[in-house]
Amino acid sequence: MKRILSIFAWLIVAFLGASALGAIAIHRGEPLNAMWFVVAALGCYLVAFRLYSAFVAAKLLALDDTRATPAERHDDGRDFVPTNKWVLFGHHFAAIAGPGPLVGPTLAAQFGYLPGTIWLIAGAAFGGCVQDFVILFCSIRRDGKSLGQMAREEVSERGGFIAQLAVLAIMVILLAVIALVVVNALKSSPWATFTLAMTIPIAILLGLYLRFVRPGRVLEASIMGVALVIFVVVAGQWVADSPYWSHVFTLSGLSLTAAIVIYGYSASALPVWLLLAPRDYLSAFIKAGAIFSLAAGILLVRPQVLMPPLTRFIDGTGPVFAGKIFPFCFITIACGAVSGFHSLISSGTTPKMILREGHARLIGYGAMLLESFVGIMAMVAACAMTPGVYFAINSPPSIVGATSDAGAATISSWGYPLQAHTMTNLAHAVGEITLWNRAGGAPSLAVGMAQIFSNTLGGPRLLSIWYHFAIMFEALFILTVLDAGTRVGRFMVQELGGRIWAPLGRRGWMPGILLSSTVIVAMWGYFLYQGVIDPLGGINSLWPLFGIGNQLLAAVALVVATTILLKMGRLRWIWVTLVPTAALVLVTMTASYQKIFDPNPLIGFLSGADDRAAQMAAGKIAAEKIVETNRLIFNLRLDAAVTAIFAGMVLVLVVEAIFQWYAILSRRGEAVLHESPYVATRWAKDFSGVPHDTVVGDAIGED
Amino acid sequence: MRKAAKRTKRFLRRFWRGLREWCGDAAYESYLRSKASHGASCRTLSQAEFYVEQLNRRYSRPSRCC
Repeated sequence: MKRILSIFAWLIVAFLGASALGAIAIHRGEPLNAMWFVVAALGCYLVAFRLYSAFVAAKLLALDDTRATPAERHDDGRDFVPTNKWVLFGHHFAAIAGPGPLVGPTLAAQFGYLPGTIWLIAGAAFGGCVQDFVILFCSIRRDGKSLGQMAREEVSERGGFIAQLAVLAIMVILLAVIALVVVNALKSSPWATFTLAMTIPIAILLGLYLRFVRPGRVLEASIMGVALVIFVVVAGQWVADSPYWSHVFTLSGLSLTAAIVIYGYSASALPVWLLLAPRDYLSAFIKAGAIFSLAAGILLVRPQVLMPPLTRFIDGTGPVFAGKIFPFCFITIACGAVSGFHSLISSGTTPKMILREGHARLIGYGAMLLESFVGIMAMVAACAMTPGVYFAINSPPSIVGATSDAGAATISSWGYPLQAHTMTNLAHAVGEITLWNRAGGAPSLAVGMAQIFSNTLGGPRLLSIWYHFAIMFEALFILTVLDAGTRVGRFMVQELGGRIWAPLGRRGWMPGILLSSTVIVAMWGYFLYQGVIDPLGGINSLWPLFGIGNQLLAAVALVVATTILLKMGRLRWIWVTLVPTAALVLVTMTASYQKIFDPNPLIGFLSGADDRAAQMAAGKIAAEKIVETNRLIFNLRLDAAVTAIFAGMVLVLVVEAIFQWYAILSRRGEAVLHESPYVATRWAKDFSGVPHDTVVGDAIGED
Repeated sequence: MRKAAKRTKRFLRRFWRGLREWCGDAAYESYLRSKASHGASCRTLSQAEFYVEQLNRRYSRPSRCC
C-alpha cells in the first residue's frame, strides 16, 4: 500500500513538472507567471533525482556502502574528515555555486526565456549533475585524487598534462571575465564602488580577529562581518549623496581594472588568513542568504515574466552577444547546466570528506540540481523586467547608440518599446547615475532582484537599497572567486614553472610567490583590460570564450569518467556519460569554429580583425584611433589563438581516450584500473553515525 | 505539545551543530576528536596554528567555482 501511494505521489510530481514545462514551451501571448518556472523546474529536478540519479547510482556506478571511503580510511581531522551528508552538501554547494549560474542565464535571456530554461533543466539533469556525480565517485574510489591526476593515471601521461594546462588556461579566462562583470557593475557607480571597497577593510578586520583574538571562531566573526557589510550598503547612499565622496568613488572602467588587478595580486601574495579567507566567509553567508531570499521573493511576489519565449535574436544578431541559439545558448549558460569547473571541486575537497559512497548521489547530483535552480531563478529575475529595459542595460553603445534617445529609438525599433525617460527614472530609483550600456549581466540581475525584493519588503522606497545589496552580493562573491582563483592559479604557475626551474616550484619561496603571482595576475589582467577597452563591451567576446573553455573542461572530465567506467566494465550503461560527452564536444567544437572562422565580424574573431584592418587600410579609421584599432586587431587574433588552443588540447585528449577505449573494447590492451583496494567499512552493518567509538557523538553521521 | 517542543529543540540543536560544521567553526574540535581517536604521535596544534594551517591547505587548491 505504501509503495502504491509512493508511486502515485511521484506520478503527480512528474505530471506537474511535465505540465508546467509544456505550458512554458507552448505558451504565447500574455505574460507568464514565474510560478510556472518554479513548478516546472522543481518537478523535473525531483523526478530526475528520484529516478535518473538512482539509476546512475545503481546501474552505472554500483555505489557500495560497505566500502570505506577516504574520509574513514585516512581520517586526519584536516583534509580527510568524515562529514554529515547535509553539511557536506552545503559545503559542496557553496563551493560550486559562483556567479556563473546568475550571469549566464541573464545573458542568455536575450534569446527569450525558453531556450535557456530548457537547457538549464535538461542540461543539468542529463549532463552537469551526471558529470559532478561520476567524477565525485571516481575520486572517492581513488583516495580523493584530482581530475588531472586521474587523467594522467587512467587516460595517459599526456592527458594529465593537457588537463592541467587546460585548467590553468580556462582559469585565466574565467578570472578575466568575472572581473569584467565587476568592472561593468561598478563603473560610474559611487555607491556600489564604496560598498565593495569597504568589504576589504571589513575582511581584514575579521581576519585579524580570527587570527589573534578568537582563532577559528568563524561563526561569530562572520555574523559581525555581515552586519558591517549591511551597514556599508546603507552608508553607500550617504557617499553617493555627498558631492566630494561621490566624486572620489566614481571610477572609470580602466581605474577599476587597475584596482582589481592590485587587489588580485595582494590577495594572492598576502597571507591567506588576512584577506582571502575572511572575505570567503562573508561571501558564503551573504550568498546563502541572498539565494534563499531570492527564492522566497519569487514565491511571494510571483512576478510576471515579461520577456517573450523567443526573441528575434535567435537569428544570431543579438546585441548582448552575437550568435545563434546553437551553439551559443549552450556555452553562454555553462554553470547552472554543465560546468567543467565543478569537476575540480568534485575531485578536490568533497571526496575526502564524504562518509559513505551512497552520499555521493545527494552531494554530487543533488547539489548541481540546486545550482541549476539558482540559474532558473536568475532567468526569472532577468525576464521579469520589461524587455526594453533588459536590452538597454545589456547592450553596448556601439550597437544601440551613445545617447539615451538614440538607444530608446533603436531598442523600440526591435519591437521592444522603450522610452528614454523610463531608463532615467529607473536609474534614479535604484540610486545610479545611469543604467544604459551596463553589459555583464550583474546590473540587470540586480535590477530584477531589487524589483522582486522591494515588492516583498519595503516597497519602492527600498529599491535603491535592494539594488545595491544585490550588486554588493554579486561583486562580493565574484571577488571571492577572483582572489581564491588567483591564488590557486599562482600555485599552478609555480608547479608548471618548477618543471623548468626547480626553485620556482617551492611554495614558501618569496621571490617565487611574487613572480608567479605577477604571471597569473598579468595573464588575466590583460584579458580584463582587453574587455574593458573593447567597444562592444568585452562580454561579447570574453563570455563565449569562457563558456567554451568551461564546457571543454566538462568534456575533459566526462572523457576521463567514460574511460574509467569502460575499464570497470560498464559498457552497457556507458551512454550515460558518452552522450553528454559527445554533445559537449559537438557544441564546443562548433562554437570554437564559429568564434574563430565565422565570416560575420561580430561573431568570428578573425573576420572581426580583418574587418577592422580593412577599415584602417581604407582610411575609415580616424588618426587618433589607429593605435586603439591596432590593439583591438591584436586582441581579436589573440582570442582566436586562445580558442584554437582550447579546442586543440581537448581534441588531443579525446583522441588519446578513443585509442584507450578501442584498446579496452577490442581487448588489445589490459584495462588497468588505478582504484584504491577495497576496505570494508566499520560502519557498514550497523551504521549508527558513531564512527569512532563514542568520542564523536552523533555529530557526524545522522542520516 | 511537550513532544513537539522536544522535537523542535532537537532540530535546532542539530541545525546549530550543522551550521558550525558547515562554516568551519567546529573544525578544530573535529581535529582534536580525530587526533584523540587515532592516538597520533605528532604534536597537537594549538587552535591558532590549526586555523592558519587549515586555511593554507584549503586555499591551495580550487575551492570556489565559477
